[in-house]
Amino acid sequence: MKTEAGNKIRLGIFVSVAVGLFIVVIYFIGNGKHMFTKTFHINGTFKDLAGLQVGNNIRFTGMNVGTVSKVEIATDSTVRVDMVIEKHVQKFLKKDAIASIGSEGLMGNKVINLLPGSPGEPVIEDGGTLITVTPVSMDDIMKNLAVTSNNAALITADISTLTTNIRNGHGAVGKLFMDSSFALSLGKTMVNVQHAAGGFSDNMTALKHNVLLRPYYKKKEVEAAKARKDSIRDKR
Amino acid sequence: MDSSSTKITFLPASIRDFFLEVDGISRFTGQFFKTVFKRPFEFSEVAKQSFIVGYKSLGLVTVTGFIMGLVLTIQSRPTLARFGAESWLPGMVAISIIREIGPVITALICAGKVGSGIGAELASMKVTEQIDAMEVAGTNPFRYLVVTRVLATLLMIPLLVIFADTVGLIGSYIGVNIMGDVGLRLYFSQAIEHLDFVDVFPAFIKTFFFGFAIGIIACYKGYTCNKGTEGVGLAANSAVVIGSLCVFIIDLIAVQLASFFM
Repeated sequence: MKTEAGNKIRLGIFVSVAVGLFIVVIYFIGNGKHMFTKTFHINGTFKDLAGLQVGNNIRFTGMNVGTVSKVEIATDSTVRVDMVIEKHVQKFLKKDAIASIGSEGLMGNKVINLLPGSPGEPVIEDGGTLITVTPVSMDDIMKNLAVTSNNAALITADISTLTTNIRNGHGAVGKLFMDSSFALSLGKTMVNVQHAAGGFSDNMTALKHNVLLRPYYKKKEVEAAKARKDSIRDKR
Repeated sequence: MDSSSTKITFLPASIRDFFLEVDGISRFTGQFFKTVFKRPFEFSEVAKQSFIVGYKSLGLVTVTGFIMGLVLTIQSRPTLARFGAESWLPGMVAISIIREIGPVITALICAGKVGSGIGAELASMKVTEQIDAMEVAGTNPFRYLVVTRVLATLLMIPLLVIFADTVGLIGSYIGVNIMGDVGLRLYFSQAIEHLDFVDVFPAFIKTFFFGFAIGIIACYKGYTCNKGTEGVGLAANSAVVIGSLCVFIIDLIAVQLASFFM
């Protein structure tokens, strides 16, 4: 008789603990879905959801503060997203707060990131509409990447042709690099140019002392001195 | 029954036996539902059987659950680490244990431990004519022996699954901390974060079906045993085999239904 009563107590404890554990799990899951916290509703209209679903998280400063409660097609090119946000966040979200669709990681779920808006603006009200930013989709990135890689392919093809021509000694640069006689002749030319430049300098000095051109150079010197004086005065 | 089975001669004997078995279990289930809602209710016998089915299986189920969680975590870790996704480990293990591994392993253990026990007990009562004696004494043996045991398995296996899941998660937490360092609170918040009601409720509901199937098959095999002492072993054996098979079939149907509604 005593054992039977003991067994009943043990069974009672067993059942109570199991039911308690179940309730705790349900509570924590519900809490994660913001079922037991005060919330308010806002919405936003996006052109492309990029895979956002009902139940996805909403983040504010990196914290999960709500979930997507409803997704419905508003017009032929826009989708309306209803969001449930924890009440205590409302005071930080202004009327010009911005919602953008992001991702939890490369393979992660989609999330809505909220930016608070301008400090001077009034707080967003329950049922208010957020400004939205269309997300950059992976397709767009891939399209841009395709264009970039095509350009890169063209550029590398050109560079390849260029280096082949240089290696074969075609064109001026090719001859410069590959033809030793051309380089020698170029060296001689440079020596000649140096000589010619020295002669030209002597000629110019002689011209400055010529009677006909001396007033011109004198006038130039006066103007230069005046400009120097003006610049010193401006600096003071 | 025999006369009708001999008429269908175009089917092989094994297939005929299979259909006869299905017919027998269906009638037995029908009789259970006819009896279960009729007074008098054997509450104290249900409690006694629940104690045997639930409390006495707790040790076995929790040890298995613990090992299950620990091993699953240790085995999954290298693959996730290769992708740099070790932070997904608690969520992945929690979903695996709660949705599938916890309910199925617990049901299989119970099919083995409880199913064989009920099958052998009722079969030995049958061959020693105790069931007939109960009938003569004016007690409804079906109500007293079958209904109470089926109700006990129906109610206790879901509770055992809850324990197995919880202990499995604790095992997983220890598994995570063997190689790394994750706090208990962080571990459980990461595990719960990935769980949804659609992970918990279908898994919980199917455990009632597991319990019912294990109980009804074990009782049927024991209650209809008619081959003397040899039949006792046969009843216990077939209760385990058919019970385990039914667990997998119910699981398959449950997964299909759950994915249909998700």
